Amino acid sequence: MKATPVSQINTVAKRLVGRRDRVIGRKSVRDSLVSVAGLIGRPVRDPEGREIGRLVDIVVRHGEETYPPVSGLIVKVANRKSFINGARIDKLTPNEIVLSSTKINLESFQRRAGESLLDADVLDHQIVDVDGLRVVRTSDLYLAPFDKEIRVIGVDISFMSFLRRLFPGSLARRPTPDHIIDWAAVASLTDASGVVRTASTRSALSQLRPADLADLIEDLAGREQGALIEMLDPDLAADALEEMEDDELEGLLRGLSSERAAELLARMEPDEAAEVLRDLSDEHRESILDAMQTTIAKPLRKLVSFDEELAGGIMTTHLLIVKESDTVASALKLLVENRERDSSDGVVVVDSRGKLLDHIQTVELIAAQPEDLLELLIRAPFPTAVSPETPIDEVVEEFSNNRGSSIIVVDEKQKPIGRILADDLVDTLSQKSSRIFSQGGGTRS
Amino acid sequence: MSLDITKKNQKIRIAAFLAVMGPGVIAGLSDDDPAGITTYSQLGAQFGYKLLWTLVISTVALIIFQDLGARIGVVTRQGLIGLVRQKYGARAGSFSAVALILANVGTMTAEFAGVAAAGQLFGISRYVTVPLTAIFISVLVLRGTFKKAERIFFVLSAVFISYVIAGFMSHPHWGSAFKGMLTPAMPFNSSAINIATATLGTTLAPWGLAFIQSYAVDKRLTRSDLKLLRADVWVGSLLTGVIGFFVIVTCAATLHAQGITNITQASDAANALKPLAGTLAKDIFAIGIIGAALLAASILPLSTAYSVSDLTGSPAALDDSFSEAPLFYITFASITVVAGALIMIPGVSLIWILISSQILNAILLLPLLGYMYGIARDKKLMGDFVAQRGARILYGAIIALVAVCVLAQFWFMFKL
Repeated sequence: MKATPVSQINTVAKRLVGRRDRVIGRKSVRDSLVSVAGLIGRPVRDPEGREIGRLVDIVVRHGEETYPPVSGLIVKVANRKSFINGARIDKLTPNEIVLSSTKINLESFQRRAGESLLDADVLDHQIVDVDGLRVVRTSDLYLAPFDKEIRVIGVDISFMSFLRRLFPGSLARRPTPDHIIDWAAVASLTDASGVVRTASTRSALSQLRPADLADLIEDLAGREQGALIEMLDPDLAADALEEMEDDELEGLLRGLSSERAAELLARMEPDEAAEVLRDLSDEHRESILDAMQTTIAKPLRKLVSFDEELAGGIMTTHLLIVKESDTVASALKLLVENRERDSSDGVVVVDSRGKLLDHIQTVELIAAQPEDLLELLIRAPFPTAVSPETPIDEVVEEFSNNRGSSIIVVDEKQKPIGRILADDLVDTLSQKSSRIFSQGGGTRS
Repeated sequence: MSLDITKKNQKIRIAAFLAVMGPGVIAGLSDDDPAGITTYSQLGAQFGYKLLWTLVISTVALIIFQDLGARIGVVTRQGLIGLVRQKYGARAGSFSAVALILANVGTMTAEFAGVAAAGQLFGISRYVTVPLTAIFISVLVLRGTFKKAERIFFVLSAVFISYVIAGFMSHPHWGSAFKGMLTPAMPFNSSAINIATATLGTTLAPWGLAFIQSYAVDKRLTRSDLKLLRADVWVGSLLTGVIGFFVIVTCAATLHAQGITNITQASDAANALKPLAGTLAKDIFAIGIIGAALLAASILPLSTAYSVSDLTGSPAALDDSFSEAPLFYITFASITVVAGALIMIPGVSLIWILISSQILNAILLLPLLGYMYGIARDKKLMGDFVAQRGARILYGAIIALVAVCVLAQFWFMFKL
């Protein structure tokens, strides 16, 4: 039993919701809590107390509201599963549901977008514990009337509550509110059509480090992975994706729509994105590239076409190119504008025809006068340049000979088209030597 | 500095195979534990080569379901017990977990009993061998990295060769052996059906199925590792059958031929071998028992700990520390200590523990296989890997066979 994380999540729930009253804290809500696990299988009655059928599942609607309302019930009536609209519910107790009229329409259930079934989709399924950075299982869910509707108020992941459900009779149905995590702090990943998403789960997820997120994503399977990605801010998702293992990423992309995959890959570093795309089937790759803006797709296509054993295959196309006739100030401005990218440790200077002249470090720029022209700063040591067809082992040799932190890749006209950073090379080499067995030592916290 | 990429790649591929190679082989071979060796010995001693075909069927069933378990683990990222909880509810999950715990404690006791008996063949008291074994496996599995432990498991698995050697030393009649493998002949009496069911039950063990799936989750094996993992599972399961084959022919060629048909412990077989095949054959057989017991005794508490953590919803990994996964380590320790204590209490009827754990394993096997079948055909869980028609028929046929065997055994058990 992990007692501590539960209380920690409650703290986070407090922090997330801030000054706003937590619904679970209200006495009226606390007193009317109904355990979903206990309610499943209980009778559904008409106003006269006659049993209409037994409760099979509860349908909730996810939307803008923090606490999703119950939109209907799935009830087994005479061995057939029927849908009863949630508006018909008069009273909800831990033991039974009483409907408001004797006349009810029994429809067959059709899942609409944004709806999920509490028993079939959420209960006993995995959810992400944002605070503990773990994947946990739902032990129970709680309903209560709040803001004019019956809503999902909270979730319980404690093992005690799970054990409680094993008992026979009313003991299994008694709410244990102490372990409840307010729904506002929960990110459920089970519904494929309408992802459970609240502003606060988003902000909680955005506080995670990309590497931790990557770990969480890897802990999940197929559709849950997709759901978590959907929930993330695209930039953060792209960062997390860069931290993932190659084959994990490949599997993940298979589960996303081409549009979403295109959006994420476009935000990744070009060399990382190209590496992923290279491993996909031709058909899948084309569908993703087609969904991208041409300005991004075109250089990516070119990168993908290079063999990954060659310099062109591991270079990044993200270069800050300036002319020798530009000023130091404009180069610095360009650097500041691109400060998010990790390849912004300097600028590449070219002549009027676009030929490579030098790579100037940020430090050199800062030391110079802002109004100086860049041509004044061009001096030895000059950067090492290779063609995109250079094999990786030669690139390694160049690196060890020159002790630089990067190598510029130039085309046949000496125009810079990419750059190989030392860390790209380290990545490539370490992946080669540890494709599979490095996966054992994943860091879990 | 120059790197020969292609040569290196090739090396990497072999290294990668060896790196993934392991869990399937370990899970498979640990089914050849002392209880398994006893069953196989009895099958050979009582019926000669006649019932060898039951081993063939058991091995096929083992391959099919270990393969399925590996696939479910990789695709769903969840252990078997956790999935049962998710798909079949809290009570089904808890029943499976509790039955698994009880059966595993019983089986663990059997492993210790195997060590104790084999130790006594060399004149070492069980009060020395059992605690030493418990400490050895705990240190092996929990201290240091599992990678290292795996290598030691691999060395341990090598002792299984001793059965092959013993098999050749007993000069079996190979023609009859192969005939027995291929021609299903079933004497309809309780002892034949009992031993056939026991063979199926000891080969296709619930904890082995749970282990391979949890292991794939723990090690975060991905779809691209699946090919290697499946190869590993197939090799492991096949080896299990091959070892079983040699144990059976050894006993068929020696014990059965001499009319010795009553084998209740693995060490009985070793002892009975002595006058027939020499002291060396006996010693080799006994060493095989100790190695087999150590291997299974390492996997059993691990499999149980995985399953319990899985039920509670906080999957644990071997790389987790105690504070991260207390339940995992407490389960591991409890299984080892309880089983070790049971074996050392003087006057405790071991045979009762062994039989009841075997019955529990049989009871548990049927629903577990059913659950696996249900998971395999669940499109929502398995996605592209959902079981197709052909595979479903195969799974169904094996489950039906297990059901018939288990029911037949119960029928004889309560009739007698």
